[in-house]
Amino acid sequence: MITEVNTPQYDALDKKGPMLVEFYSKTCGPCKMLGFVLKDVDKSNPDFRIYQVEFNENKELKDRCGVKGFPTLLFMKDGEEVSRLEGLKQKPVILKEIEKIKT
Amino acid sequence: MENRVEHVRYDHLITRQNRAEKEFLARLENKKPSLENAIVVVNPYLINPLAAMILFKTDKPAKAVLTIHGKRNDREDIVHEFPEGTSHALPVLGLYEGMKTRVTVALSTGEAKDFMIESQPLPKGICRCRNVATSLDYFGTNWMFLTPAGKNLPTAFDYQGDIRWILTENTMFDIKRVKNGNIITGSSRFCHMPYNSTGLIELNLLGKIYKEYRMPGCYHHDHFEMPDGNLLVCTQDFSRDTVEDMLVLLDRETGEVLRSWDYRNMLPQDVAGSGSQDHHDWFHNNAVWWNEKDNSITISGRHQDAVVNFDYETGKVNWIVGDPEGWPEDMQKYFFKPVGDLSKFDWQYEQHACVICPDGDVMCFDNGHWRSKNKEKYLKNRDNFSRGVRYRIDTKKMEIEQVWQYGKELGQDFFSPYICNVEYYGEGHYLVHSGGIGWDHGWASEKLGAYIKLDDEGYDINSKTVELKDDVVMYYLEVDGNFYRAEKLSPYHDGDNAPFGDGKLLGHLEVTPDFGTIPELEETSEAVDAWNQIRIEEDEDRLVFHGRFQRGQLAMVIMDNGSEKKGYFINTAAVNYLAMCSGAYLEDDDRVIKMNISKSSLPAGKCEVKVLVEDRIFQTGVVICN
Repeated sequence: MITEVNTPQYDALDKKGPMLVEFYSKTCGPCKMLGFVLKDVDKSNPDFRIYQVEFNENKELKDRCGVKGFPTLLFMKDGEEVSRLEGLKQKPVILKEIEKIKT
Repeated sequence: MENRVEHVRYDHLITRQNRAEKEFLARLENKKPSLENAIVVVNPYLINPLAAMILFKTDKPAKAVLTIHGKRNDREDIVHEFPEGTSHALPVLGLYEGMKTRVTVALSTGEAKDFMIESQPLPKGICRCRNVATSLDYFGTNWMFLTPAGKNLPTAFDYQGDIRWILTENTMFDIKRVKNGNIITGSSRFCHMPYNSTGLIELNLLGKIYKEYRMPGCYHHDHFEMPDGNLLVCTQDFSRDTVEDMLVLLDRETGEVLRSWDYRNMLPQDVAGSGSQDHHDWFHNNAVWWNEKDNSITISGRHQDAVVNFDYETGKVNWIVGDPEGWPEDMQKYFFKPVGDLSKFDWQYEQHACVICPDGDVMCFDNGHWRSKNKEKYLKNRDNFSRGVRYRIDTKKMEIEQVWQYGKELGQDFFSPYICNVEYYGEGHYLVHSGGIGWDHGWASEKLGAYIKLDDEGYDINSKTVELKDDVVMYYLEVDGNFYRAEKLSPYHDGDNAPFGDGKLLGHLEVTPDFGTIPELEETSEAVDAWNQIRIEEDEDRLVFHGRFQRGQLAMVIMDNGSEKKGYFINTAAVNYLAMCSGAYLEDDDRVIKMNISKSSLPAGKCEVKVLVEDRIFQTGVVICN
């Protein structure tokens, strides 16, 4: 399930369990491609939560998360970051990280 | 469907040269001309307009002496004797530009003939000599070969600064004469940004390519011929997130990779960075040298300010010449302590072209860029200097002494933040080439040459090459443009200067990885916008896709054979390269991208080429047969 969230919405989320948070920009080609990759990931993992945060509109949140560029993928479990990937990544790489936080 | 974009299909240069050679050899066999009626072919291999071939037969075996007459006097003549035979194909090198050059062929039978051979015009805008100072007594009929650092061409100058050799192909990086007399340099075929070409080429000075050694990790910066003829070649693995950090040994006959060395196994990547280091290009290997005495390899890493020596067999580091600041404690044992006159001692920074002298001394071109490990102490280029330097190292005491340098006193006038080389000719006899000089309104430019816009007045780039003997400048050449390296070579060598036979493509290109996800977007029958300037160049083993895209646009090339699709993602983000050792592949409009796709990566059979731009997939009308 892919949901766009802003900072207040992110803060209000139930962060129990695994989830992926993607920081992206609307002006970024790799981010746009990553959007399609995440749709692909979502198809094979419809119950897994994916949240997208626009980088430029949520500066406090991106600073809080230590995110310096886009796209950045944070793999979280119970509200804590377990790992992150920076830049455009392909589906198998993302699925591998998702498996790690699901276990 | 008609083509809606530009599609250019051409044979590989080797294929075209093979064809040209067969044609003129067939003329020789069919006509069997005598010396008197000899066939003269100017630019026989299509890429050297200052070369020719004289073809004729003799009834009896005869030796031929070829004289390319100098412009001014007999002392400038280039003379070469060819072996005895009855079928003669004499390579003529060094035709003068813009005039007919007198060439004499004299046979051992007593027959002789003069030819007046007109060279082909040189391309517009080539780099020319600005100043040269030397003597015929010193320099002789040698030429100084300069290899390009941008869209300029490989060019050789005689003692008067006349251009006597040029290739109309933008070959890359190092040039060396190998044992069989041929030269080996980088192919002109684009493969990967910023400046990687498909591999090495071995060619003669007429321009005939005998072999192209294609490499999956491409070729960059330097190569070295081993005693058995195999080649050490700087390369990388593009599937990794780092570049310019591997070395391979190529089989000279087959192009096969025989072994490799990975610098990530030898050195930490996130330490001791120069001012140009980033995670991706952490080492920036720009030179390789093999030392027979101890079977070691020495490499130069610009982005760690380090000349590193390691064992050929084990890959274990032996020593490192460079400023030890910033290296971890457990690596300090590899560094040297300066001794001798410390008031004159300087470490090298962002150096190029390491050389091991016969006595074990280490030479390099010390570019000096930043000239510190400490950001607060970085020097501006106008306050800096570049030089050739020689260090004496004691690997038992781990001491280093600076024993010679040239260039420090010249300051910014000789400063090059990138490229350049030194050569050791003998004790006290050296070449120092500062090929990357750039000017901004009279001051050393802070930009690399490839980024300096020459259409603005007040900007300039040039190159200076010096030969010294016992600290006396015996040769000085200043030319337009930036040139990567300088190498002094004689036009003819003692081996076969022009053997015939088909050139070959060896090795293989990388299988271009496709992007696993192809966005499901509307396919339209509309033409892609002319603004995108889509152009597809196709040759025997790859396509090069060119296109212009807005920053941040989603873009992809899709190859569709009807049953299988492969997508190749195009990154439209701005890229800031901290090193640009050759600007050959840079575009004036940085929104223009080019992407190499090897044919081995394409779906089988006939593939339609489609282009995804933002939210739609456009047809191009181009079909590639794989």
